[in-house]
Amino acid sequence: MEHQDYQQLLVPHSLNALEVSEARELEAHLETCAECRAELIALRDDAALLAYTAEPVEPRPEVRARILESVRAERTVDRAGAMNDKVVPLKPRANWNVWTMGLRIAAGLAFIALLIGLIVLWRRDAKLQQEVAQLNRQLNTQQHELVRDRDVLARQREALALLNSPDAKHLELAGSETAQNARGSFVYDQKTGKAVFLADGLPATPPDKAYELWFIPKGHSPVPGRIFTVDSSGHALLPEQMPADAMGNAVIAITLEPKRGSAVPTLPIFLSSPKS
Amino acid sequence: MQAEPSQTSDNDLLHAVARGDESALAACYDRYRLILFGLILRILNDRQEAEDVLQEVFLQVWRRAGDFDEARGRAFTWLATIARSRALDRLRAAGSRARLAEEAAQEPADEIGDAALDALNSEKSAIVRNALAELADEQRKVLLLAYFEGLTQTEIAERLGDPLGTVKTRMRSGLIKLRELLAQHAT
Repeated sequence: MEHQDYQQLLVPHSLNALEVSEARELEAHLETCAECRAELIALRDDAALLAYTAEPVEPRPEVRARILESVRAERTVDRAGAMNDKVVPLKPRANWNVWTMGLRIAAGLAFIALLIGLIVLWRRDAKLQQEVAQLNRQLNTQQHELVRDRDVLARQREALALLNSPDAKHLELAGSETAQNARGSFVYDQKTGKAVFLADGLPATPPDKAYELWFIPKGHSPVPGRIFTVDSSGHALLPEQMPADAMGNAVIAITLEPKRGSAVPTLPIFLSSPKS
Repeated sequence: MQAEPSQTSDNDLLHAVARGDESALAACYDRYRLILFGLILRILNDRQEAEDVLQEVFLQVWRRAGDFDEARGRAFTWLATIARSRALDRLRAAGSRARLAEEAAQEPADEIGDAALDALNSEKSAIVRNALAELADEQRKVLLLAYFEGLTQTEIAERLGDPLGTVKTRMRSGLIKLRELLAQHAT
């Protein structure tokens, strides 16, 4: 294609309306053509004005509050250490601290391990470089773990934002005779139904089974929620969505079900919130 | 159209957000919530989802304001691009395009709601709408399908039953004409 041919693609590209292959070819041309780059910038500015043809609509004021709360919660998590003061006191808080501290310790350990490697290298002969390579591998592994933990952190951030919400309602779940050491918390936003569920001390999940969460609205059949498994310490943290008709009056319960879940709960109940 | 003569320029606001200034983010939200929420709602046609997306958009603005480069376009373009892509991603994820099919290329609303009495923005809306109204119907339809439904030229041709070449010509001539009209209005 010639320069003029590429120029013809700039308008559709400014609207993301090219097929993938065409867009890719044009992107390659843009790397070397300042004229087309400048034209594309101008066209994108024009295309963006089409947004003004949508009817302006006022979002609910809660959205602004939610955004600013999330931003603050994110900051709080970033500053890890200061977290204790910000979070509403809840039993599972200890777990978040453990995780956040775990991340810091992992990073700290990785750094110390690398330092030790360097000192050893200075003191001894070149053969020890192998050890350093080993330490580097460990560091890489730990970095991978850090990346994985970041996903967990993202969930925790959502949970934090929810906990900080003025509309949050908190239900404590107690273990039944079947699971006397189990404890749980279910927190949901009374306006949006966004929820988070935390459990501790549940018995290990058998390989062909899974736990299932239930919403039991007063006088109605149980509504199935999420299916989950627990880690080795019987812990689980999962996002949920409260069904609209369960808001305000439902009992939350946990049962053990076949791996893919059930449509109706199988007794016994492992955890449940008090009857309202 | 030129950058608006507001207290703090959009560029300065985004630079302040990039430095971690929460109040700048709040100011940015206050300035653009109506138009960005309108845009997202027009794409998704579902208030609850649109509010979720609006929240995601401003969280992304908070996290990525450092990527904004005024040499690569206006601040509003940057914001609207994030809002539009997030909303279109959500639309595709939900597979809910079908429910919008009937509303394809709907005409811009004649009136702006009471909520829109933000003088500056409604003036801009009026200018863009007037310019858009001066385009041929076919040109306008193609631009709106691409912008609000995220359709490619090929998909637009299929949707309208028009030859691909025709759609390409209408899209190009439509946006170029729109630019000329906006330039006239701005002077």
